[in-house]
Amino acid sequence: MPDLPELNPVVHGRLRLALLSLLSGVDQAEFTWLRAKTQATDGNLGAQLLKLEQAGYVVIKKKFVSRKPQTAYRLTESGRQALAEYIHALKQLLGPAGDG
Amino acid sequence: MQDDTSEQELRERLSIIERMIAEGRRTTESWGWTFVLWGVAFYLALAWSAWVHSVWAWPATMLIAVIVTVVIASSKAGNHPQTTLARAIGCIWIALGISMFVLFLALGLSGRLSDQHLFVAVISAMLGMANGASGLILRWKIQLACAVVWWVTVVANCFASDTQSIIVFMGAIFLCQIVFGVYGMIAEVQVRKRRSLMHA
Repeated sequence: MPDLPELNPVVHGRLRLALLSLLSGVDQAEFTWLRAKTQATDGNLGAQLLKLEQAGYVVIKKKFVSRKPQTAYRLTESGRQALAEYIHALKQLLGPAGDG
Repeated sequence: MQDDTSEQELRERLSIIERMIAEGRRTTESWGWTFVLWGVAFYLALAWSAWVHSVWAWPATMLIAVIVTVVIASSKAGNHPQTTLARAIGCIWIALGISMFVLFLALGLSGRLSDQHLFVAVISAMLGMANGASGLILRWKIQLACAVVWWVTVVANCFASDTQSIIVFMGAIFLCQIVFGVYGMIAEVQVRKRRSLMHA
């Protein structure tokens, strides 16, 4: 029986997975947009984004728009690769039924 | 790790990925107003150049239209995410705006803006190119139809009389800027309504 793949624990967290998936479809996104899409609290969202940043999966860009601070997040190449590997592992674990 | 991860949970993770990727791609950018704004700008520039015969009519109107577009677009941008597709389309229109400003400023100042047929043909060809590129990228038949209208205007202008040339040009502006822009604005409102119903 072939070895079953390990799921990356950084990606596996429900909110972190949602954030990586959201960021994979856009160039970059604001904190407020990510909060609206995930419906997470500010504290939880900030903590999970920090974990993703520490893992090197997202980068933060801070700027001021009309004197208001804005924080934008962008998926890095290693973040994109980690998500792709996670999806691949997930499909392997689910077997042929996971390909649909 | 997967020993204590049920199949149900794995399927749920897959569903989160699919749902979130789809959310990210679903942009809610509004652009219909830009077509209406530029349509009005073209009419103003035409009226200004026809009544006053000023060399500044086109470059000044184009510059004001660019500034107004940038100001309104930045205020509307809000917290919408940037997508590669939206950036590509945006780049086409920004490049068109800069090209028009540079060309008409140079033509106006050098006094070579006197051939109305050539002028309308150039502006129509540029708009046909931008609408065509945007329509092909988005695979949007209505915008491709606008590109065809602009290309027909190019050909018509080379053979029509002075009056016919202006009538054809004004008709193309009305169809491809005003009508298309209003159609875009209505479509955006309908999409927003559908989404709010889905999320209710």
